[in-house]
Order: sequence, then structure tokens, then C-alpha cells
Amino acid sequence: MTTDIRIAATDMSPEVHFHFSENRFSLSGESYPENAAAFYGPLIVALEEYLSEAGGSNIDIEVRLAYFNSASTKMLFNLFDRFNEFAALGNTVVLNWIYDEEDDTILEFGNELASDFAALEFRPQAMVS
Amino acid sequence: MKMSAFDTFRDIASSHGVVFYYEGEFSANVIAAMGDAVKNKIEQDADGSKKKRKIFSTFIEMAQNVAHYAPGASESASAGYGALAVGKAGERYYIASGNYVEARHVARMREKLDPLRSMTLDEIKQAYRAQLRNDEHTQDAVSKGAGLGFLTVARDAAEPIEFSITESTEHNGLFAYFFLRAVI
Repeated sequence: MTTDIRIAATDMSPEVHFHFSENRFSLSGESYPENAAAFYGPLIVALEEYLSEAGGSNIDIEVRLAYFNSASTKMLFNLFDRFNEFAALGNTVVLNWIYDEEDDTILEFGNELASDFAALEFRPQAMVS
Repeated sequence: MKMSAFDTFRDIASSHGVVFYYEGEFSANVIAAMGDAVKNKIEQDADGSKKKRKIFSTFIEMAQNVAHYAPGASESASAGYGALAVGKAGERYYIASGNYVEARHVARMREKLDPLRSMTLDEIKQAYRAQLRNDEHTQDAVSKGAGLGFLTVARDAAEPIEFSITESTEHNGLFAYFFLRAVI
């Protein structure tokens, strides 16, 4: 079984909880690490390992990011691509997308994810700031 | 710097509405500290949160661009060397950066930047969406990001981005000076 991942937030990187054992995932805070590929790469590798043996699981993801830079955007896109492939096999993956109601950019990116990754159950939720 | 020179510097900065200026190495720690300073500065402003987010986003993209692509001050430097200013002109903010880039990358940069000046916001967003899905980009040996940096700056800017790339004869013509300015 893939070991759970917990990473504390820093100024430049988000708090990450990948509770593989409970099929729960969360990302929160801000994401503009110096090297986004180095930050997200190992997370994607661990996720792939987990997904390869998670068939039949109901996955719940909560994303509550206040800001992510362009390089992080691409890595998040790749991350949700993996979840979508898993969902397309007939598994349930709920993506709770929590965004600041005044932040069009984050909602727009969420909508991009929803349109490209149709197997994900996309649940946008505006947060009043 | 003598006091008279400092006064001149301060006068020029003040007449151009400069709220923040930095020149030096763009290490991750420096960018994080500058990011906090920029946030604090714009927080005191009455502007809406959308504009604040755009200013911060543009600052980060431009600062990380310097960090990743500008040559360092020395051989051992891990981050690029450059200059960046955040300022206010009337109701709008501007962010300007200046740094050397490798001359061999100039044609490629012009190819990316020139079209952005004449594109509408819808066209920029469309190009952004296409690039987000562009998997060829991972094979791009020059780019260290997602190829979305300049598109992100152009998307958040209120006017077409301005840039200039000046060839330099120093260092055997290996470097050119890159200036970029976005207004939000």
C-alpha cells in the first residue's frame, strides 16, 4: 500500500494531504514553488502507484488553493489527468473545487478541468471572502 | 551611494510611482520575501481583490522568469540576476523587469512575445488553453516551466505587454538585455 503523504504549507507551496489509506486527497494554500515539476513530480508518481491498485475505491479530493503560478497550473492539470483516467474506468472521483468567489481565474481553471476531464465529478464551491 | 545620489534616486523613483525596486539575485527566498512586500503594498490599496491577484500573479511570473532564465551573477549562482520594479501610474500598476538572456534564445523569445502584443484577451485565453494541453512542451529543452509564463502575464495585463530585447556586444555577444513591462 502506498504510504500516506502529508506536506506542510510554506510561503511558496501548498499543504498537501494524500490519505491513500482513506482515498482522500487535499491541497490548500498557495503554490508557486521554485521548481513545480520537482514539487509535484513525486506526488504524481505516488498517486500513480496508488491508483494502479485502487480499483473500486470512491475517491474524494478537496482543492482549496488561493493562488497557483503557471508552472503549478500545468502540474495540477497533469495530476487531475491521472484521477480522470482512473474515474474513466468506472470509479467515482469527486473533485471539490473551492475558490474565492471573486477569483475568476481559479474558477476558469476548474471549468477547464471539468470540460477536459469529464469522468470527474466536479463540484465547484464559491467561498465568500 | 552619497546622500545627494540617494536623493536623486529617490526623486526619480517617486516621480515614476515606484513602490518597490530590487536588483540582485532572484533566489527563491528573495522572491518569497519580495512577494510578501508586494502583497503588503497592494493590500493597503482600495483596489478590488481581482486586481490584487493579477498584480501578484504577474509579479511571480516575471520574478521566476528572471530566476530561471537570466544568467547568474557568478558561475556558482543558482538563480538568475536581474532587476524588477513594481510601480503605480494613476489607477494602474506596472511591473517591469530587466535581465540578460542568452543571445541564442532571442529569436525564440520574440516568436513567443511578438504575437501576444496584438492578440485579444479571448485569443490569449485560447492560446493559454492550447498550451495547457500541449504535451510536446515537456520535450522543450530550453523551457523550465510549462510554456505558460508569458501567456499568464499577457492574460492578466490590462494593456498589451511591452518588451524590448537589445543585443549586447559585451561577453562576445553571448547575451542580450531583455526588458518586459506589464500594466495591470
